[in-house]
Amino acid sequence: MEKILGVLEIMQKKPMLDRVIFGDNQFFGINHMSEEKAQALSERFRDLKAITDVIDIAYDCGIRAFMLNTHEIAKDICDHWRQNSTRFADIRLYPSMPYAHKYANAVAEKGIFGALKDIIMADSSMGEIAGMLTKGGASLFSKDMIKVMQLLVDIEMKAFRDLNVRVIFLQNIVTDLLLGFGVKDAFIGFASYIKEKYETEPGFVTMNMPKLAEFLLDCGIENPIICSAINKAGYFMNPDIESYEKTLKENKIRPIAMSILASGAVKPKEAVEYVCRQPAIQSIVFGASSRQHIEETKELIESFS
Amino acid sequence: MFRAGFIGFGRMGIAHFSILNSHPSVEIAAICDQSNTMLNVLKKYVDIGTYSDYQEMIDEAELDFVIISTPSDSHSEIINVAIDNNLHTFVEKPFALTAADGQETLTHLEGKNLVNQVGYVNRFNEVFMEIKRLLASGLIGEVKNFSSEMYGATVLKDSKASWRGKRKTGGGCMYEFASHCIDLVVYLLGQPDKVIGSVMQSVYSSDVEDLVSSTFIYNNGCSGTIMVNWSDESFRKPTNIITIFGSKGKIVADKHAYKLFLKEADQANGFHKGWNTRCITDFAKSVRFYVRGNEFTRQLDYFIDCINQGRADNIASFAEALKTDIVMEEITKDASQSLVAEDGWSQASPILPKSSRRSSIWKKFWEYLK
Repeated sequence: MEKILGVLEIMQKKPMLDRVIFGDNQFFGINHMSEEKAQALSERFRDLKAITDVIDIAYDCGIRAFMLNTHEIAKDICDHWRQNSTRFADIRLYPSMPYAHKYANAVAEKGIFGALKDIIMADSSMGEIAGMLTKGGASLFSKDMIKVMQLLVDIEMKAFRDLNVRVIFLQNIVTDLLLGFGVKDAFIGFASYIKEKYETEPGFVTMNMPKLAEFLLDCGIENPIICSAINKAGYFMNPDIESYEKTLKENKIRPIAMSILASGAVKPKEAVEYVCRQPAIQSIVFGASSRQHIEETKELIESFS
Repeated sequence: MFRAGFIGFGRMGIAHFSILNSHPSVEIAAICDQSNTMLNVLKKYVDIGTYSDYQEMIDEAELDFVIISTPSDSHSEIINVAIDNNLHTFVEKPFALTAADGQETLTHLEGKNLVNQVGYVNRFNEVFMEIKRLLASGLIGEVKNFSSEMYGATVLKDSKASWRGKRKTGGGCMYEFASHCIDLVVYLLGQPDKVIGSVMQSVYSSDVEDLVSSTFIYNNGCSGTIMVNWSDESFRKPTNIITIFGSKGKIVADKHAYKLFLKEADQANGFHKGWNTRCITDFAKSVRFYVRGNEFTRQLDYFIDCINQGRADNIASFAEALKTDIVMEEITKDASQSLVAEDGWSQASPILPKSSRRSSIWKKFWEYLK
């Protein structure tokens, strides 16, 4: 009995995440290895249908968890899931926000606050706040950036309405920028808002996992869900692979591994074997574009898990 | 610990701050910006002195170095003050807006052992660093010809609101964008002796150019072209592509990978005869703290290392960056001279001086021919 209670306690503290999460980078023409491959991907996934076809295949292969950046297309993909809600009844989403790239030009043109103001004002449901921005100029920013962040989360989360959201991630560009600033309020504010308003768990994507892990624990965020590159090649693992392995051994976070193939530098079998050998890794995010690759990778993960 | 002051806290200033704030040898002492909103946000969330006047910050904050990320037209003035106050200086590219201003800054530096660096970040990209090494080793022999291209979807409408869209403040594709492409050529192949056939065109912008192209001529017999377009929606991110043709082979490189064609195998480096492909994953090294790409961390950590070691011989020094400034000035001059007529066959650019003497002479000539 004691043992069962113990397990329950652990489960409560560390509810399990999906073992296999299907990623979406391939749909947005992202390939860190080659511009040519990136181009080919963006051509192949020009139509929504090409994207949803691959998602349907992944679902048919038994994958239920999907990570989705808040790219402009995310809304259309979510519409596909909503319109076929019976078929996708078990779906669990792991959105990652903001898709910073879509704001890059606005920031270059109008500065950070100018861009933020435009984003908030462009959202019709933000009438009252938009009014505050026009009247009080930028006073909202100086007064309460946490409130601004909450507004931005709400704007990004609209695409996912009525869908089962398991974790809401802060995307790595913003996570790492804020980590560099060391602003604890921002991380605590994000985490508590996700828990309270969306009744789900906050997560953080990063290129600096060991440093972020230490910082989030320092912020009092327990068992933080951290998604980062974890691969045998040490690619996108800063400051080094040894620090990652050390942090994983300490078992104080819920790690999610992405970029396990290191953009193709590691062979699939070796890649999965390495990741599955690391202690405490709860989930593995991978992206693929064909049925064969999806099936193979999923089976590999399951065979080593 | 070295005490840092930040001058200009826009997109680049923020990224540089995030990278350096966690550096073990750096203490950020103060930030200067013209935006009250920014200063108020900083006061509320970051415990660091804020200023709206950089001179006041330099006088009060007991700094060792400054990071300047202000609009380009203010660089020279601020750099000169920083140097006169014996501060090591990192400035975002471009260095100065005219070669004369750049030269003047170099005279301020004379006799001072101050680290000086410009944010030409391609010089810290692993692929381009490797290409530099391969070229120096003579792998592809004597370089005969090259093309350096840079594309991005940075400007997709006429943007008068930003300083980047205004000629007067140092905006435009040349200084803001093409400077990286030109610096890459200067870094890998040196400063050209002459530029010809330069064209600056507009796609969207009314006050600045969106396209730059030019041919570079070298006295040693090498030549090459640059082709730059910051209004190209087909690219998700700014992209550099450089092709270098030499007597023994050819290199095609971007930030992520390079392809090398060799007439003969090179055993020392493990290259086959014919095509060889290397990706960044083959030689990428992690960085202390990643914010927006390895090269951004690497360039600032290198700057701090130089301060630490008292080295003024910087890879991206002011003197190196001045070469790019000179080339940009020459291209602009060349482009305005090759403009033929407002309504003639050269639709070169609405942003070039329409009343230039040369163009009116050509116009008369055309009218005479008609």
